[in-house]
Amino acid sequence: MKSPSTLTHNIPSLNISHLQLKQQGTPLLSLNEEVKGGEVLTIMGPSGSGKSTLLNWLVGMLPSDFTATGELYLNGQDITNTASHLRHIGLLYQDPLLFPHLTVAGNIAFAMPKGDKQTRRDEISEALNQVGLAGMEKRCPQHLSGGQQARVALLRVLLSKPKAILLDEPFSKLDSQLRQETRQLVFEQIQRYSLPAVMVTHDQSDAIAAQGKVITLDTLSLNEVAS
Amino acid sequence: MIVANTLFTRVVRNSPYLLIALLVVPVLGGLLGVLLPAFGWFPALGAHEFGLFGFVQLFQTPGIERMVLLSFGTSLASTLLAFIITILILASYFNSPWLKRIQRLLGPILVIPHAAAAIAIGFLITPSGFLSRLVSPWFTGWDTPPDWLLPHDPYGLSIIFGLTLKELPFLLLIALGVLAQPEIGKTLRAQHKVASSLGYCPMTGFFKVILPSLYGYMRLPLLAVLAYSSASVEIPLILGPNTPPTLAVAIMQWFSDVDLSLRIKASSGAILQILITLSLLGSWWLLELLVKKCSAAFLINGEREYGGMLIKRLTDMITIAMLTIIGLALVAMVLWSFAGFWSFPDILPQQLVSLHWSSALLQMQTPLFNTLVIAISTTLIAIALTLLVLEAEQQNTKTISAISGFIIYLPLLIPSIAFLFGIVWLFEQVNSQHAYVNVVFSHLLFVLPYVFLSLANSYRRLDPRFSSVAASLGVPPSKIFWKLKLPLLISPILIASALGLAISFSQYLPTLLSGAGRINTITTEAVTLANGASRRTSAVYALMQMLLPALFFILAWAVPKLLFRKKG
Repeated sequence: MKSPSTLTHNIPSLNISHLQLKQQGTPLLSLNEEVKGGEVLTIMGPSGSGKSTLLNWLVGMLPSDFTATGELYLNGQDITNTASHLRHIGLLYQDPLLFPHLTVAGNIAFAMPKGDKQTRRDEISEALNQVGLAGMEKRCPQHLSGGQQARVALLRVLLSKPKAILLDEPFSKLDSQLRQETRQLVFEQIQRYSLPAVMVTHDQSDAIAAQGKVITLDTLSLNEVAS
Repeated sequence: MIVANTLFTRVVRNSPYLLIALLVVPVLGGLLGVLLPAFGWFPALGAHEFGLFGFVQLFQTPGIERMVLLSFGTSLASTLLAFIITILILASYFNSPWLKRIQRLLGPILVIPHAAAAIAIGFLITPSGFLSRLVSPWFTGWDTPPDWLLPHDPYGLSIIFGLTLKELPFLLLIALGVLAQPEIGKTLRAQHKVASSLGYCPMTGFFKVILPSLYGYMRLPLLAVLAYSSASVEIPLILGPNTPPTLAVAIMQWFSDVDLSLRIKASSGAILQILITLSLLGSWWLLELLVKKCSAAFLINGEREYGGMLIKRLTDMITIAMLTIIGLALVAMVLWSFAGFWSFPDILPQQLVSLHWSSALLQMQTPLFNTLVIAISTTLIAIALTLLVLEAEQQNTKTISAISGFIIYLPLLIPSIAFLFGIVWLFEQVNSQHAYVNVVFSHLLFVLPYVFLSLANSYRRLDPRFSSVAASLGVPPSKIFWKLKLPLLISPILIASALGLAISFSQYLPTLLSGAGRINTITTEAVTLANGASRRTSAVYALMQMLLPALFFILAWAVPKLLFRKKG
């Protein structure tokens, strides 16, 4: 694997360099991986194997009873000690976590950088159109179906212009049909925006659909899925 | 759920009606007992015709405008200040272990009665108080007490100070209680994480994402605090101005006056007090609308940072100042209770004596006895009734109606000064001469809501399968209640009891009015002494007011541990 210094800054990438995670002194996991833009690194493993802890470390929110050594590089920049809100790493949870006090458009606008009001409105309408939610700007999130909420949550992450994206079992609460549709949409957008992505999941079909490297934490064996 | 028709099940089935009657009849009856004299009908004084002369007298009282302004202004300012500081603390320490530490430090403040808190603050801010001693003469150059306005300043600043310090822990603990609820807290914390991942600094993320959701859960307690503070008597009586005082204090003085004709003016004043409280609630609602309108654009403007570090530093200073003030007030009170000669500007008394404690303990035997008897009686009734009503919910397999839920909190939402005098009138109508019974009954109105609030959650969370299994084994409902449910709930029952006792210990106006001045408790004595000459004795009484609830909370915590400790 190339060292971070030899990476060109034009190629988006998320580089987890010699990470060692420990819980109260007990080793939990080690990882040394590079994820390029448009690729999805899938992390699988049983409960307690450290999947969520890994995501917490990636976003800079490691709980106090865990310690970590290693570095994190995003597009060649060392963000190991960067504050969470300055990392530009988007998060997609299994719950959409839309803000109930904002409309659909409000939730998406919340994520967008500052800018001209009309330009933002136009961008939101176009984005909603692209995911089959045209005309839903003024709806309250509580009045959307699960699949619709998932799509709004995805748009919210993407329009914040992240440099990488983390997926924490984002499809686990969706029924199988919706799961397939939403999964396809998410992976298409990851490719379209050329974002390096790390996905945590229990589901083999998610890992297969991601068509990327799969790491199972309990055995620490590498299972590359043929694309 | 099908249950046999036994004495126990009949008592349980009728307990909700008893609860509602016990709350509605006195409060509405009390309001009527004030409404009729307010509009001129007071046969005891020979007034048999309705009219507005009570109100005319009221509005001709010198300083009435100032009284109204003081009541309105101090209540709004203190509630707003307490709310803003609460929010700043939550925003600054949201994901920090400091929040739990602050919670542990402020928790005990909740059980300090208003009168004791006012006395403690008085010891701090008087011209010869602890604050001026700490900075004199090395900083101020004062070698005699300065001539400043606090307390009893005409602008109500001391009242605002006292009410803010008393309300802030309550609001903070309400908010923390909401965040501690598994589903709500988990969702809000996850949303805060989402905001952070979208580039929002923690402070801005809190204000834009958490606060709009959290506020909904805090609204009712906020309104209760606003309503209570608008008609509060203890803090304005001890810290507020005297000429004129707040409207609630003036009403109390008119009702207590030997000139019975003032009762009509007092009743009109009570109606005016209700209107002030309603206008405060209305003003708060308008403020909410204004904030909602003005913040709509702010929430989605994409601005991620609003000087979060500066606000955090400011909050750190406010938090340290607040905790220091509370600590100093308590230290000052303890020092005064043991102080011999203590000249200004000495920080410590020249001598420490136990004389005040020994003489106060001798004097306070009767008030202490009264305090304990009334509190224990009230709390036992409140606990018993609450348990029966909650058992009725389980037997009927549905919770009490929303209206019944609202009625339980009615005595907390209506200014007590507006109906307590009416309750006294009711006691006179039914010729109830037993002062103890009258006082217990009036305390019950204030203890019952808190006991219900405290116990309801725990009782409702009891796994119903325990009862189902017991019933399937042939155990009757009464035995399930006594032998199964109550032992499982011993800890929440003890906590609710400690809370009920604490509320009863702190009651001033209900004791004064319902007891017709014949029943002295630690609180009534403390308030009397606070306005009298003996600062040292009032310090002892105020400390007793704090020690009593603290003792029972410690017992409530320790007893289950002793009863159910692991053996071997």
